[in-house]
Amino acid sequence: MPQPRFERLSERLLKSGIAPRHVRRYVRELGDHFDDLVREETAGGAARELAETRALYRLGNDDDLAEAMLSRPELRSLAARFPWAVFGLGPIALLALGFAAALAAEIGIIELATAYGSAIGLKPGPDAARWFTRVLLVWNTFAVYFAPLAFAALLYLVGSRQRMRPAWIVTGVALVCILGGFQNLIFYDTGCRGCGHLLVQSAFIPPFPHFAEGVARAAMNLAIAGGFWWLSVRKRASAAMALSHTAQT
Amino acid sequence: MPLAEMHASMANPSFMNGVPELLILRTLSTGEMYGYELVQAIRARTNQAIKVGEGVVYPALHALESDGMLRSRRKLVNGRTRVYYAVTRKGEKHLAGLVRHWQHITDAIGLAIGGTAHAATAL
Repeated sequence: MPQPRFERLSERLLKSGIAPRHVRRYVRELGDHFDDLVREETAGGAARELAETRALYRLGNDDDLAEAMLSRPELRSLAARFPWAVFGLGPIALLALGFAAALAAEIGIIELATAYGSAIGLKPGPDAARWFTRVLLVWNTFAVYFAPLAFAALLYLVGSRQRMRPAWIVTGVALVCILGGFQNLIFYDTGCRGCGHLLVQSAFIPPFPHFAEGVARAAMNLAIAGGFWWLSVRKRASAAMALSHTAQT
Repeated sequence: MPLAEMHASMANPSFMNGVPELLILRTLSTGEMYGYELVQAIRARTNQAIKVGEGVVYPALHALESDGMLRSRRKLVNGRTRVYYAVTRKGEKHLAGLVRHWQHITDAIGLAIGGTAHAATAL
């Protein structure tokens, strides 16, 4: 299979907005079809080189192959069709859903522990309160610190797989890092029955008592995301260099 | 015109609307096939009158699948994974509509050129 030929086609389709899953499958199917055509031509008596030339001719040229795909708007990805929604509204929706899911799960855990705590040997008191607070601290740390970074990674993955313009990816990643930094979930329990407190904080709510903390967390998120981005760009650059070096030698 | 490269006289896209879908659905209605198999079957069925740029059949297949007319599944055959396509119930209904539409058109053209027995009877 002439891989570089389909790689160019693949890049062209991705940059034009065709969904990565369709591009991957198209390229794989073209490769299989090419192999079948070569087999058919060689079985008919053609030499390998001639069989490959004929197979490529029968398969169609790059422009025809690309045009056939590009003329089907339904094969375009959501990110390519509505980048403002995916990278503009997407971060807000992801954070809201993620936060709501984490909060709902936390309330569920608290309700379950309250209802069935005695069945598993949890008796109200300072020890149980300390243990329970620790468990929910781990949960909240994941929800508050790791979830925005996971969403940033998801947006980066979606954007880079679709070969989106970097401006869109940067917008999505920055939004999720900044907005995610300004939200907080806190649980504490002093040990008496009914003394557990679950706080949902947003540093955007006046009189902005947690704004400085939000800025610091947003900056930390941006620094971590930026670091991963830099590493990924470096990795891709060195892979491209290695590929071109292999091609030259 | 995603599937076929017709003769120059038939290259008007408006004449080709629905042809790729019709050929694909009709051919696949006989049983599931993978791309290469499908293209060879279309060539055989049309007596090679329709010259297919073989690679361009796949976007039509993907689009038909997106529309729910086809379903696909991976199948391991002789050590290779193939994507097999089959017509769905929705696809069968759509095919019946396409066939009616094309029969209407060919009847009308037959009438216009006055060259078919069917047209002569109708006239």
